[in-house]
Amino acid sequence: MTPATKTHPLTRRERRARILLFAQFVPIFAVLVILFGGALVMAVLQSLGFAPWFGVNTFPTLDYFAALWGSATFWTSLGLTLYYATVSTFLALVLGTLLALALVKTFRGKTFYKYLYKLPLMIPYTVGIALAVIMLGNGGMLSRLAAFFGVIDDPGQFLQILKTHYGWGIIAVYIWKQTPFITLAVYAVLLGIGRETEEAAAILGAGRRTIFFRVTLPQILPGIVSSTLICFAFNIGAFEAPFILGGGFPDTLPVVAWRYFNDSDYTLQLRGMATVVSIGIVSGVILFAYLAVYRTFERRMGRN
Amino acid sequence: MTQVELSAVRKQFGGYVAIDEIDLDVASGELVALLGPSGCGKTTTLRMIAGLERPTAGEIRFDGKDVSEVPVQDRNVGMVFQRYALFPHMTVERNVAFGLSVRGLPKAEIEARLDEMLEVVQLQAFRTRFPAQLSGGQMQRVAIARTLITKPSVLMMDEPLANLDTALRGEMRRFIRALQQRFGITTIFVTHDQVEAMELADRVAVIFNGRLAQYDTPERIYRRPASLEVAHFMGAANIFPGRLVARDRIETDLGLLECTPLAGMDVGATVHAMLRGEALEMTTEPPPAGRQAIRGKIASRDFFGASVTYGVRCGSQQVTVTENARRMVDVGAEVWLDIAPEHVWLIRT
Repeated sequence: MTPATKTHPLTRRERRARILLFAQFVPIFAVLVILFGGALVMAVLQSLGFAPWFGVNTFPTLDYFAALWGSATFWTSLGLTLYYATVSTFLALVLGTLLALALVKTFRGKTFYKYLYKLPLMIPYTVGIALAVIMLGNGGMLSRLAAFFGVIDDPGQFLQILKTHYGWGIIAVYIWKQTPFITLAVYAVLLGIGRETEEAAAILGAGRRTIFFRVTLPQILPGIVSSTLICFAFNIGAFEAPFILGGGFPDTLPVVAWRYFNDSDYTLQLRGMATVVSIGIVSGVILFAYLAVYRTFERRMGRN
Repeated sequence: MTQVELSAVRKQFGGYVAIDEIDLDVASGELVALLGPSGCGKTTTLRMIAGLERPTAGEIRFDGKDVSEVPVQDRNVGMVFQRYALFPHMTVERNVAFGLSVRGLPKAEIEARLDEMLEVVQLQAFRTRFPAQLSGGQMQRVAIARTLITKPSVLMMDEPLANLDTALRGEMRRFIRALQQRFGITTIFVTHDQVEAMELADRVAVIFNGRLAQYDTPERIYRRPASLEVAHFMGAANIFPGRLVARDRIETDLGLLECTPLAGMDVGATVHAMLRGEALEMTTEPPPAGRQAIRGKIASRDFFGASVTYGVRCGSQQVTVTENARRMVDVGAEVWLDIAPEHVWLIRT
């Protein structure tokens, strides 16, 4: 028989430390539970028909979701939202990774480039959108330059970049803003892993592509996943870029929600809430699936 | 079996000269150590042989063929890094098989060679483990297996014993030696530790400030250093400046010493005499007449378990003597140092 282990009761000091630790968590709990959790609960309640302050209380009902999901434009809006978010995140990832890979090498003027690439991180989205309008719009700098050099007769003939459902303007702004962010994350991970495994692979006979896909990429994956997760979550819920640079009706879901909230018929706010909750569900499901796939991959690579 | 030759190799990083000019000749199947303090250029030399750095000038030849411009992938060399550089996301077997799989070998052949190699390094039981689940010695064996499986013409190792504890060092040393002899592979390794260099190498290349200071067998480097710098680096404690009064007589502050004559040294030359601490015979009784002996008094004693080191005051000079710890002589005791002429080595100033 093994001797019973005797547990000591907590000393006063240990108990005090435990209370102190709990006290440190209070502010973050308050923010999470009251501000975020409370708002979330209210949003869900409203989307299910609970808004007595508007004189509406049909709780619980799925009518608002049914009305929303039943219309074809909702699905188009959802498609556009996902399209802008996915394409821009993917392109920013490719560019950001390439930039990070370049930055770990030694070259002349590296310090300058290391400052330069971070510039968009410090400039607000709204400024980026304004820059897009100035540069890319019909009547913008590019169209005028094209006309000046005789590529086109009139700036008005310039390729329509903004205000189309292809969303080149939106995607451009997201990429401009998020490439440095992804570069920052991936560069930090690259510095952490060092060059040795890549050199070992080269000596073992691996070419550049093999080294990247089989040695570097699996090691920088944590940086890639965390940064793309943040970018995608932002892109799916972002409002100002699709509002200003988008192609108009049908809008992306955040813009649709905004239109409902701004309608003179304030009972439409409930449908706005249903839209917001829908965005939450869609992005939640996608990000959760993304993480689940990544976790499976991590376990296969022996990381727990 | 490959012979490696460095001829007037120079390496510059911008304005910084890492390797001034090095000539080195490594015979086929030989085990050579590049030894020197950190920053002396030994790792750069190794990286140039591997193909990770391009020499600024000079030639690197494998079996007489210039490979200076051959890219690292095509050079067919092997390298074991100091921190092993294992792929952390691959199991032991995938790490070891990496070199074969990038060469596109058929699966069955990879499997067979993998099995054989894991047997050689005794890692069969660990084949599905990840590097993070291995000890330092096991990681090093994986790194060696991953390299040897590609049958490299030259094997390179960066500080192979540096990260191991004392017990493992001996085991790993015998293991590396046995492997090297079994495969007969030309091996070059880098170290800043003179003991590690002497333990392993057939020949040692001592490098200071990007220049080859001496290239010889461990025994000769230790007993017959070519310069004061090499002697100091190899841990020589008893070096006395002096003047040659005859071809085999040197006048030092320790007294007149009979020594081994050195070719090309003229009478009257100022030189240094080096006495290895363990080559001195210390007695508590005066030695018989006819022996070269110096009287002194023990000033200090340091006990290292297997050996004891005494500081012996001889007139104005202090001589360090190392003995087996079979006896202990007290501090303050009167002793005689019996110095055999063949153990007095002359170093040019």
